[in-house]
Amino acid sequence: MTQQQLSIAITGAGGAGVISVGELLLQTWAAGGGRGLLRKAFGPQIRGGESAALLKLTDTEHYTPADRYDLFLAFDWTNFNRFGDEITLCPGALVICGEEGELPPPVRAVDPDVHYLPLADLAVDTHEEGRVNMIALGLLGRLLGLASADLQSLARNKLAAKPQAYQDAAAACIEAGSQLSLPCQLAAPPLGEPGAWYLSGNQAAGLGALEAGVRFVAAYPITPASDVLEWMAGGLEKLGGQLVQAEDELAAINMTLGAAFGGVPSFTATSGPGLALMTESIGLAVASETPVTILDVMRGGPSTGIPTKSEQSDLNIALNGLHGDAPHLVLAPLDIADCVYTSAWAVHLAQGLQTAAIVLSDQFIGQSTAVVTEPVRCPRPEFPAQDSGNDYLRYRLTESGVSTLAAPGDADQRFTADGLEHNERGTPSARDDDHQKQLAKRAGKLNNHPFGDAWARIDGTGELALLCFGSAWAAVTEAATILADAGLSTRTVALRLVAPLQHERLAAALAGCRRVVVVEQNHGAQLFHYLRGQMEFAVPVASYSRAGPVPLNGRAIADYMTAEGR
Amino acid sequence: MKQSVKVRAKDYKSEVKPIWCPGCGHFSVLNAITKAFAGLGIAKDDTVLVSGIGCSSRLPAYVDSYGFHGVHGRGLAIAQGLKVARPDLTVIALGGDGDGFSIGGNHFLHACRRNVNMTYIAMDNEVYGMTKGQASPTTPADWDHSKLTPHGPGVRPFKPAALALAAGAPWIARGYSGNPNQMAGLIAAAIEHPGFSFLHVLSQCITFCPEQTDWKSIVSERSEPALSDADVAASLFHHEDGFQTGLLYAAPRNSWPGPQAQVQSADISEGFRL
Amino acid sequence: MSKQQLGEFLAHSVELESEARERYLELSEAMAEHNNSEVAEFFGRMADESRLHLEEVAEIAEQHDLPDLKAWEFNWPEEESPEAASYEAVHYRMTLRQAMLLALDNERAAERFYRSFAETSSDSETRRLASRFSAEEASHAAHLVKWLGKLPADPEHSLEEDDAPHMPE
Repeated sequence: MTQQQLSIAITGAGGAGVISVGELLLQTWAAGGGRGLLRKAFGPQIRGGESAALLKLTDTEHYTPADRYDLFLAFDWTNFNRFGDEITLCPGALVICGEEGELPPPVRAVDPDVHYLPLADLAVDTHEEGRVNMIALGLLGRLLGLASADLQSLARNKLAAKPQAYQDAAAACIEAGSQLSLPCQLAAPPLGEPGAWYLSGNQAAGLGALEAGVRFVAAYPITPASDVLEWMAGGLEKLGGQLVQAEDELAAINMTLGAAFGGVPSFTATSGPGLALMTESIGLAVASETPVTILDVMRGGPSTGIPTKSEQSDLNIALNGLHGDAPHLVLAPLDIADCVYTSAWAVHLAQGLQTAAIVLSDQFIGQSTAVVTEPVRCPRPEFPAQDSGNDYLRYRLTESGVSTLAAPGDADQRFTADGLEHNERGTPSARDDDHQKQLAKRAGKLNNHPFGDAWARIDGTGELALLCFGSAWAAVTEAATILADAGLSTRTVALRLVAPLQHERLAAALAGCRRVVVVEQNHGAQLFHYLRGQMEFAVPVASYSRAGPVPLNGRAIADYMTAEGR
Repeated sequence: MKQSVKVRAKDYKSEVKPIWCPGCGHFSVLNAITKAFAGLGIAKDDTVLVSGIGCSSRLPAYVDSYGFHGVHGRGLAIAQGLKVARPDLTVIALGGDGDGFSIGGNHFLHACRRNVNMTYIAMDNEVYGMTKGQASPTTPADWDHSKLTPHGPGVRPFKPAALALAAGAPWIARGYSGNPNQMAGLIAAAIEHPGFSFLHVLSQCITFCPEQTDWKSIVSERSEPALSDADVAASLFHHEDGFQTGLLYAAPRNSWPGPQAQVQSADISEGFRL
Repeated sequence: MSKQQLGEFLAHSVELESEARERYLELSEAMAEHNNSEVAEFFGRMADESRLHLEEVAEIAEQHDLPDLKAWEFNWPEEESPEAASYEAVHYRMTLRQAMLLALDNERAAERFYRSFAETSSDSETRRLASRFSAEEASHAAHLVKWLGKLPADPEHSLEEDDAPHMPE
């Protein structure tokens, strides 16, 4: 069944507060049991400039960015083009604007139901500190059937640090907005169970890491990962952990390694440029078998690229960016709630398998906020118990490939962790025998581990398979639903564990398919090429890869499938 | 106490034998470290030596403590992460002039500033030894022994003590490989200093800079007490020849805070529930 | 250091012999690591001799209360204890003759150190022991001189080599 949804875009300029409108509206909607997603889009300015709150109210928790908007509230038309690519309106969409004037051509083209309201004048008339955004919030609340009192109460909480007059103005404007009447109706999706959570993917990833035991974080700011680190700073303080702001990503990853060597589960978060800087030392984590988890909140690349927009284009560097033969873990959360699970799983795996885990989140799930049922938690997996014997050998060759990891302070297990190739004791060695055995040990411990069912999410049994990783799952699921409605039975396979690839399980998941399409959000079809290099497919495999900044779109994927009879 | 039964420096050496050239100053630093450990009665299990890459960075494997031999230039970052996470440990970072002042230069500045309670020993022989003798940040401008810079690097050498001071290091000393006993005393004092301690060691390279055997006649021991006034120290570090040894500057200040009391019951997910 | 106190003298004597032995061992191992087996063997033998001397000194020291001095609290005539071979004088291609000359320097420095106590200490037991140790060092030196006399002269450029240094990392 296709999702029931109502999409609302709110845009404004110069500190008009559109993001606050989006947040308060969604939170009030969610308090009543509603589900929904809030994306934020910004111009390049730090303050002022333009911003957009992109809301999607739904009846399920499958959150894709809205592909068409039912309601567009524009405080003004300044720089509409900044978001023109991302805000496509439904035919006949309801458009509320605070500024008279000629509509931008893409808006005019959908033959919208336009209502002009002098929002700014209303705000000033309501209260001397009145703000246009709170008028809009009251109005939107009314259209959604939300109580003005609930909106006001949330707004007062949010603005608690502001002067009293400012808070009073907000409440008054919300009330005034809620009294406005428009000759139109909105079809809001049905409400779900109340008591849900409201969080961003970045917060979810931080939560998962802390719940899995992370007590040290080294941080270097980078968009769109900074808010993971900021949230974790507060969380670690509560838990008695430590966060250090590093001088650069090179320091951040190495501080993480140092703390991990000390026996403290450690974590850092970054984005593509930072991951590139970290790769040498991630190789050190692999060689020295020091457990670390690195969250990469992917953004448009290469180089500085498009820092505020989502893309899945760091897959190549995450898989292959390390020099030498450096097997490690690459995971990808499938949606906002899954960031809790996958981040925790990555930490557990890194700790248990004594290696580096790279978690590929992205700007879309990282910085979007969603209403979700309490996220599923990752249980701590079992790892083979190690017996170091009487003679402690840090890099002992064991059946599982995992050897006992001592930490400073442990009695009589002293060793020097080394990035130089080494023998079982850890003494540097350039001998062929040591190199072959240690390479096999480091690869074997990953390949031998039974990763369980969490490696992928598999839905449906159709003969067409849509295969993806990470956040593409939502768009792929949407496409599968559209295709199913059109009579084309489709199965979806979303990889949560990208490396080591679970070849046999993937082959089994695709058994009976007649065609596989690999879906991803990048230009170079990185997952497609990775999979083709890793395994033989019994059926034809095609690639659907689209770079950002426009989000992957289920309808577009479905159209692509049907257009050529796929 | 009977002299013959006390813990000796050699008891802190591991079974791994150094690969350094005979005559290398780093042997002396190794001896000074183990002498300092013996003098302080350091617990092997609670001590970690962290290094980057280079001749001097091989040192952790030669000491019977915990060790981490990292990647080029990042030893200080590893060491700070370790010490912040495990304040109970004695943490010493060490490495060479290329490792610490060139590729790792940024970490050096910020380690001085951050003032984590640990020790950094920079073993300075003014040359990249592991890669066949190229000029380093501390090489004299006219040193023309490297094919890479056949007319000398032609740039002013880096002044480690002056930089450390400018970046906020609260404890700065200089040692010399020709005097491992004095160096051992400085290392012991560095370990006991409650904050970041920077020990710059003139450690000769017998292979690429044989002229450094002349250091013996140039090096002097500073007899005055350590300076505590940063302005006076700045003037000293600017004008000195870089060959006076001893504790040069000591102005303790609050070091990086340790972990807060653990509150296991804290519900970090509280804020997410609607 | 006060030259009047036996305990302090013995503490220095034990340290001197320990340092001599440990430095010779270190040099022997370093030379072995660099395939200069002749010099490695010689330094190894010197380490053995130092051990014998150390045991002798240590046995005497056990009869007395010695101050617990840290490495930086000893009072040596120069930077290092007299019999510890100087790092500046070592090279991986050094010849046996050069190694023996270095050892001879060490023995003579030790002899001078002990002699100064033998000549100037106000404590009679210190004078007696210092005199004995000094004589032993002198006999080691004489032995080395005799041995050196039998060795052929070194080529003038013995430290030169054809290959460039290696690049291990």
